[in-house]
Amino acid sequence: MLKEEYIALEPVDSTVLIDTITTSRRVIERDTLDYRVLMYTHIIEKQNYLIEIGRTTETITQFIKPLQKVALNVLVLLIGITLVLDLFFTRFLLRPLGKIIKSKLQNRKFPFNEQIDAVKTTTEDFRLLDKSFIALMEQINEAFEKEREFTSNASHELMTPISILQSKMENMMMAEDVGENQQERILELMRTLSRLKKIVNALLLISRIENEQFGKTNNVSPSNLIAEVIEELKERMEEKGLRCTVNLHPHHQLEGVNNDLLFQLFYNLVNNSIRYNKPGGSITIVDRIAADGRYEIIIRDTGSGIPPAELPNIFNRFKKAGRTEGEGVGLGLAIVKSILDFHGMTIQVSSRLSEGTNIVIGV
Amino acid sequence: MKVLIVEDEKMLAAEIENFLRRAHYLCDISHTANEGLDKITINMYDFVLLDLGLPDFDGLQLLKDARKHNPDAAYIILTARGDTDDRIRGLDLGADDYLAKPFSLLELQSRMQAINRRKFGLKDQVLSIGDFIVDLKLRVVKLGINEIELSKKEFDLLSYLLLHRNRPLTRMQLSEHIWGNYVDDDYDSNFIDVHIKNIRKKLSAFGTVEWLETIRGVGYKIRKQD
Repeated sequence: MLKEEYIALEPVDSTVLIDTITTSRRVIERDTLDYRVLMYTHIIEKQNYLIEIGRTTETITQFIKPLQKVALNVLVLLIGITLVLDLFFTRFLLRPLGKIIKSKLQNRKFPFNEQIDAVKTTTEDFRLLDKSFIALMEQINEAFEKEREFTSNASHELMTPISILQSKMENMMMAEDVGENQQERILELMRTLSRLKKIVNALLLISRIENEQFGKTNNVSPSNLIAEVIEELKERMEEKGLRCTVNLHPHHQLEGVNNDLLFQLFYNLVNNSIRYNKPGGSITIVDRIAADGRYEIIIRDTGSGIPPAELPNIFNRFKKAGRTEGEGVGLGLAIVKSILDFHGMTIQVSSRLSEGTNIVIGV
Repeated sequence: MKVLIVEDEKMLAAEIENFLRRAHYLCDISHTANEGLDKITINMYDFVLLDLGLPDFDGLQLLKDARKHNPDAAYIILTARGDTDDRIRGLDLGADDYLAKPFSLLELQSRMQAINRRKFGLKDQVLSIGDFIVDLKLRVVKLGINEIELSKKEFDLLSYLLLHRNRPLTRMQLSEHIWGNYVDDDYDSNFIDVHIKNIRKKLSAFGTVEWLETIRGVGYKIRKQD
């Protein structure tokens, strides 16, 4: 195309010195065209000359498009390279970190029974991190083992003397030369010893549960479990003339729990419901799926209830809710609480004096 | 019947011996595992009562070795360690029963009797009391052709009293036998009375039960009959 560019040099009189770029219209050899013009006033021997270098705007726009295209391509290419580099970083350089997280933090459940292996890496920081993790885990394991050993030893040391006393009393009781009077005294001793034995047993059970010395490998159907508990306690209910209604989903399963501990849990709760119930009262055991999707078992009784002031303390060891009848050792509900905590279950107790108690267990 | 008691706690070993001798068992005592193993290799025993926490080596190891020399003996593990793993390992190694300390001597004796019944078949399974016949294997109580229906706990209670005939059994001893580890307190012991009342009521519809005596302030006893 002709007249794409032009250069003009002409003398001007104006005292205004021009130095600018503008878009303006010029008439070149009878054609009027839009130009992008660089204007500059040059002074030679006190005479001003205006230099103009112009290019038609049309040709300029023609060049812009391919230029933009090239720039875009380069940009895309750069982004691509950055992504690849990033991936390389995370995939290769940070791989040990991922391994550490996977082997030390996820997929790990206390107690750490399996061998703890170091993650292979040449990065100093990762090695330090891994080492600290392993050291921490070993420390926890050691503490756990010590506690376990202590419980076992304490159990042995406490049970042996109790054992000796119990055997001695039983033998005394059966001796032919014991009078009725003495027999009754020995019985008092046996009763006291039996109480001591139960307290020690309960405390050891709680500490074993808290040390996670029980497996969680059973699948249990609540409906069967409660049926077993009721069977065990049936005669007590009959004796007190209690009506027991059980309505549980027959196919619901609790997975990864300890059957014996759950039995003990419900045994203690139902036994309490019987024990503090009024003659001719009732016990209701139902389950439901709560609004948040959790499975809940509800035990309701028409018993004497728990005074509001004592509600917060019922799960504390050796706190008795002012109930003197029966002389419990006050550890039944502490055992319940530790079994619930062991399984990560929750309990809510609401009660009205002389109307009854409502217990909700959330799985 | 010959019994070996392997128990490092001398006083406890003596009490067990004292009790078993009265029940006409012949007893040997060893206080260490080595001593126990020596005795087992020389003598034949019907029962070996084995404490797991021995001073020289582990009771479970002793159990393994002892069974090679004396495979016919019945092994009962007595332990205060209370580790559930021990129980499983012990039974896996061929122990016949397991008693956690502290145990009642009566419980020990009834476990020994149960093992005997298993070993020697029917011989000892049917007991008679008054006009009644108690079949421990079929778990029924009969008078003539009438079968008397007892609940599981009532039957356990009656047979426990019967096996320890002529001995006053306390409510605690009875409730420990019936409820084992789940016993919480005296509330359970008091429940023995309810069961006994029911047993008396059910049996007296068919015959006299004056052999089942209440010992005031203590518990119950089945009187030996001549």
